[in-house]
Amino acid sequence: MKNQVRALRTQHSLAQGQLAEAMGVSRQTINSIENERYMPSLPLAIALARYFGVPVEEMFSDGELSGHHAV
Amino acid sequence: MGNYPAIMRSKWFLPLFSLGLGVVVLAVSWVGGSLGSGLVSLAILAGFGLFILLAGRSETIRGLRGDGRDERFAQIDLRATAVAGLVLIVTLIVAGLTEIAQGHSGSPYTWLCAIGGLSYALAVAFFRWRG
Repeated sequence: MKNQVRALRTQHSLAQGQLAEAMGVSRQTINSIENERYMPSLPLAIALARYFGVPVEEMFSDGELSGHHAV
Repeated sequence: MGNYPAIMRSKWFLPLFSLGLGVVVLAVSWVGGSLGSGLVSLAILAGFGLFILLAGRSETIRGLRGDGRDERFAQIDLRATAVAGLVLIVTLIVAGLTEIAQGHSGSPYTWLCAIGGLSYALAVAFFRWRG
């Protein structure tokens, strides 16, 4: 699962620790999400998307279905 | 974003749990007439608690201690518990079979295997029911 967490964090000039504190998780958890070693829970994914003001599907994507709309 | 109650996310959780367990072991040992071994157990458990409390800020230590617990650690904790349970049940099965092969009843290992198996089945049924 690809994600834009690192890109959005650096765009907002935030350190991993600052984002972690805002999300109520450890810095290592943010690092693991950015490196795609840990897939966050749905509540955390939604919280991250809301924090950066983007839709969840823009922040997280499987890389294959992007741009396709399943019926 | 954590699956733990606040008390379990305190850095005092594991140190105080270790100390409390040490006090319980001391009391039970005292009742059983072996105060000396109870004091040794208390010293070991209190020492472990103190070590964990002062051991630093690595993610593993903080996760074990309590103050580094979040949803990712909850997943790590669940996997580690599953591995420990698997190792324990395999050990019990091997020990029970060894006892039976030596002409013994296999107790208490077979009883412990039964408790483990039954607990697992009941837990599966409960979590399936809960959805």
